[in-house]
Amino acid sequence: MHRSLHPLLWWIWAGSLAIGVAKASSVLIACAVVGAVAIVVYRKSEKTPWAASFRWALKVGLWVIAIRISAGVLIGVPIPGQTLFTLPILPLPSWMAGIRIGGPVTLERVTATAHEGLIMAAIIALLGAAASLSSPHRLLRSLPVMVYEFGVAVVIATSILPQLVASIARIHDAQKLRGQETRGFMKWRRIALPLLESSLSRSLDLAAAMDARGYGYSRKRSRYRPIPWSARELLICLIAILALAKPQYVLLGAALAPLFLAPSQREEVLR
Amino acid sequence: MITFSNVSLIYPNSTQAVVENLSFTIAEGEFVLVMGPTGVGKSSLLRLINGLVPHHTGGILAGDVSVDGISTRNVKPGGLAHLVGFVGQNPLNGFVTDIVEEELAFGMETLNLAPDVMRKRVEEVLDLLSLAHLRQRSIATLSGGEQQRVAIGSALVMHPKVLVLDEPTSALDPIAAEEVLSILHRLVHDLSLTVVIAEHKLERVIQFADRVIYILGNGLVHIGTPAEILKTSQIAPPIVHLARALNLPDVALTVRDMRRMSAPLRDRLSKIPQPIPPVVNSTEGIVHVAGVWLAYGNKSALRDISLTIHRGEIVAVMGRNGAGKSSLLRSIVGVLEVERGKISLLGKDPHTLRGRERTQLAGFIPQEPSDILYGQSVSQECAQADRDNHVDPGETLALLQKLVPGISPTTHPRDLSEGQRLALALSVVLSAHPELLVLDEPTRGLDYSSKNSLTTILKSVASENRAVILATHDVELVAQVATRVIFIADGEIVADGSTVDVLLSSPAFAPQVAKVMSPAPYLTVKDIVDAMRNSP
Repeated sequence: MHRSLHPLLWWIWAGSLAIGVAKASSVLIACAVVGAVAIVVYRKSEKTPWAASFRWALKVGLWVIAIRISAGVLIGVPIPGQTLFTLPILPLPSWMAGIRIGGPVTLERVTATAHEGLIMAAIIALLGAAASLSSPHRLLRSLPVMVYEFGVAVVIATSILPQLVASIARIHDAQKLRGQETRGFMKWRRIALPLLESSLSRSLDLAAAMDARGYGYSRKRSRYRPIPWSARELLICLIAILALAKPQYVLLGAALAPLFLAPSQREEVLR
Repeated sequence: MITFSNVSLIYPNSTQAVVENLSFTIAEGEFVLVMGPTGVGKSSLLRLINGLVPHHTGGILAGDVSVDGISTRNVKPGGLAHLVGFVGQNPLNGFVTDIVEEELAFGMETLNLAPDVMRKRVEEVLDLLSLAHLRQRSIATLSGGEQQRVAIGSALVMHPKVLVLDEPTSALDPIAAEEVLSILHRLVHDLSLTVVIAEHKLERVIQFADRVIYILGNGLVHIGTPAEILKTSQIAPPIVHLARALNLPDVALTVRDMRRMSAPLRDRLSKIPQPIPPVVNSTEGIVHVAGVWLAYGNKSALRDISLTIHRGEIVAVMGRNGAGKSSLLRSIVGVLEVERGKISLLGKDPHTLRGRERTQLAGFIPQEPSDILYGQSVSQECAQADRDNHVDPGETLALLQKLVPGISPTTHPRDLSEGQRLALALSVVLSAHPELLVLDEPTRGLDYSSKNSLTTILKSVASENRAVILATHDVELVAQVATRVIFIADGEIVADGSTVDVLLSSPAFAPQVAKVMSPAPYLTVKDIVDAMRNSP
């Protein structure tokens, strides 16, 4: 039987890496870790609807960097240094003292905001990697009963995300056929409404189905064939957590650990 | 087993009660069919049984519903989970996990059953519904019929006494539907399970029903045996319409009974020449498909498809779920780009068409008509279509009123019934006067009267020298409307010919009237009535 890794493993692994990247606060390490994780995602992810989460997280990350830099350049406290160019200063009422829009833009300011944006993007990418590697359904099953209620909300949200992506494509196609070739904001307005409607009705269906099957009625919950932790999986988690103590370059090793420690695809099939 | 006593239900902000002062009892082991036009409250009635209405949806309930002595008033749906199994219209929306075996276990886990009990029951249900070979499969990769079987299985593992199903076969092809219904039939007879089912396609289910609850709207409900109800009911399967057209004293519910009753008719009709199916003799092609291949990843969806569709034709594309019907339709209208081969739509490559040029050549109605609607009201939607299609203001709305009279322009499209929403989508598309109209499974959730108006619309489009292509599982609709049927299996064309030839060659896809009249090639009640009028 084909057995993939424990779903919680990926979240512990990616979470530790994300904390490590934030702690190390180094662009070099952040890029190296994301690169290593990308290799793991490429090698390990299966053909599932949520496998695309990593790619989407990377895209969101790029937006975060762009927004952070433009906000940093426009608004904020001036940092002294080498002036690159000067924007006209927007006059603000006197009660908004301390905030300035526009003004001289220094190299230091641009690099500082780019650095922050990049770390943020890396963290988003790491969480995206965990989402693309573990089945949200299996994750739900392996969560402790205590956080189960909360977990269900999260899992339903994450499992609806890939369906949303598919719905966007479907609605986009349908509207193209209606002769809608608008782009940008108008296009999204037209997609948003049918999308909201279909995802809402789907969530209601799911909620009704879970309700009808007794979900949340009994306080205790038993397990059908619990998913066990293997020694290798525990080792991967341990390395990722240990890397937190000395983030610098240990992180890179932790990021690549699943590649060497996890059973290879061929091995899994044989088991 | 189920007792409704003086039940009235009304939703807030609605002036019309869904049911009023309804009382009935369903005994153990009964197979009860709930029928009625769309939007009349069938789903609400079903959801009253396990308390989803009003606990989950809201609404004001008077009177009392009790199942096995437990009143739904005091117990939430979860508290009835061990007693009432519920299977929704689209099983995919209700699955919580992604592996068959885990899905079956989910309900038992929430009820905190012991692991060894769970293990035993899962094995039982896997065998009962012949799902054993699928136990480790991801649910998303199963066919529609298999998914519906998993949904039924995950209700059965709880050992319920009642199984409630809301249109379980509406998305299934005839063979998969047959499979699901015969399992239900067996459960009723072997385990004395009580089954309550809502279904539009009466021809599929009426033969299994012990009793019928017929909801007419306006709070009116008739309850009786199928024979009693169908004698007078407005909605009825084709064989009942046939019996009425022949003025037979009784109605037959199965093809076998109807064949016995109609033996004199077959005698009489065998003496007159058989009907000649209407032939479309246009030779002007609208769509030319030549040697088309298409694949998703390494799974091929279309293999070497070639066909020509002429003006005036109504072509039905049939086949199992996942056979490639949608892929073919979507490549013809140009959403999908084919890998090899060529498609031409009046000489143009559909994939390169843009904006107005596309809408004037091909109109497409997707499986979910609401995908192409985004207005806040019917009138806004129509005004947008007028602008998009460059027609006079008000033309789309006028077309809609012609297709389906009586839709208020201020209604929100979401509040329309399935049939009305389809009509709105149709008028939005048709106001551009496309040369080709393409519909992808338009009959999901449509009742008989909506299907009749759809038939009229499609015929009038074809009579204007345009062409219609529709993918559907509904053999009765195909029999009524199509001039030609293309049967697809595994991405290849298996049969392509006139409706009579293709439908009669396969028993699973033959309409009821054809089964009754076999071997004479009659497809619809209208065919027979016409033939009798011409016979001496």
